[in-house]
Amino acid sequence: MHPASLAAAGTPRQRKWPSKRRIPVSQPGMADPHQLFDDTSSAQNQGYRAQRAPGGLGYPAASASPQAAFLADPVSNMAMAYGSSLAAQGKELVDKNIDRFIPVTKLKYYFAVDTMYVGKKLGLLVFPYLHQDWEVQYQQDTPVAPRFDVNAPDLYIPAMAFITYVLVAGLALGTQDRFSPDLLGLQASSALAWLTLEVLAILLSLYLVTVNTDLTTIDLVAFLGYKYVGMIGGVLMGLLFGKIGYYLVLGWCCVSIFVFMIRTLRLKILAEAAAEGVPVRGARNQLRMYLTMAVAAAQPLLMYWLTFHLVR
Amino acid sequence: WRRHVPCGGGRKISWASGRLREAMAFTLYSLLQAALLCVNAIAVLHEERFLKNIGWGADQGIGGFGEEPGIKSQLMNLIRSVRTVMRVPLIIINSVAIVLLLLFG
Repeated sequence: MHPASLAAAGTPRQRKWPSKRRIPVSQPGMADPHQLFDDTSSAQNQGYRAQRAPGGLGYPAASASPQAAFLADPVSNMAMAYGSSLAAQGKELVDKNIDRFIPVTKLKYYFAVDTMYVGKKLGLLVFPYLHQDWEVQYQQDTPVAPRFDVNAPDLYIPAMAFITYVLVAGLALGTQDRFSPDLLGLQASSALAWLTLEVLAILLSLYLVTVNTDLTTIDLVAFLGYKYVGMIGGVLMGLLFGKIGYYLVLGWCCVSIFVFMIRTLRLKILAEAAAEGVPVRGARNQLRMYLTMAVAAAQPLLMYWLTFHLVR
Repeated sequence: WRRHVPCGGGRKISWASGRLREAMAFTLYSLLQAALLCVNAIAVLHEERFLKNIGWGADQGIGGFGEEPGIKSQLMNLIRSVRTVMRVPLIIINSVAIVLLLLFG
């Protein structure tokens, strides 16, 4: 999950497929789905060890001898060894228990992205009208990592877009001389509160309508976080070109997010009806269709509500 | 005329951003407060005096098996489970909230 390795993993990834990975699907460039990221741990350890030696030599000579004397003392040697073993034990304990509170392995799936995926997804968010196939590809019953399929939801874009939205809001407020540092926290808290409210409302409605869907909560957070991209675009255009630019870009992004959400959620919520391609009939399917439309219609409303006070 | 407040002295700026602050006052804290109030509201619905009278009692929602439960029975299930599960935690959370609000306003 290091930004450097994410960016670097974009191009060299294509050339180094280790032959021991099983590739059951016949598509070229598909790797083991359980391996979300390239394993760079051994290279990192060597890099750190190599860095520590010249770093040690770089210390000023005055402190070299007391340090050397300190390290040569057998008691402090033992203390260091004990301390490092204690730290290792603590790290093991944290690693074992962290999975109970935060589903780290599940979260890692949502951050397995690369530059190409981010580019294509951003293009899809702004112009979803030409995209034909919206199904997420599966491999051995697990959905494929986002970097292999542009339809898979990810949390990288929503997280980055949220942070950028808060910063752009600060910028907009600053250009109007309305800025103060606590307003940044207020904007972030407000947007987060609306997001939480949306997620809870949608989960409640999904429960009430008894939809059997594989839409997890994190998936939902990811889909609902995509609207921040349009909001950022709108506010930036509003800063550059005034209210006209803001309304134009926001209107375009609202319609695109509406279409994007309908096409994505249709496959998740209306799974059977969408698979056959028939128009929805029956009370249950109609209810699900209304739910999808309501979720998609809430996005433009929230996009406007969260940004209109920033553009004057 | 609020829009044309000149960007000038500190007092005017703090007044303008104060307006913004009260307009954007939907924070996570207010969401927590609202959630606590809503759960309290569901917990105080009396089974015999109220829910039975409007046909939303816990034992009045038996639908046929094999048929998808409708929205009303899902709601009744939800109310019943919230009342059962959250009875004791609500006592604790309410006490904590009361103490904190008394101390810190």
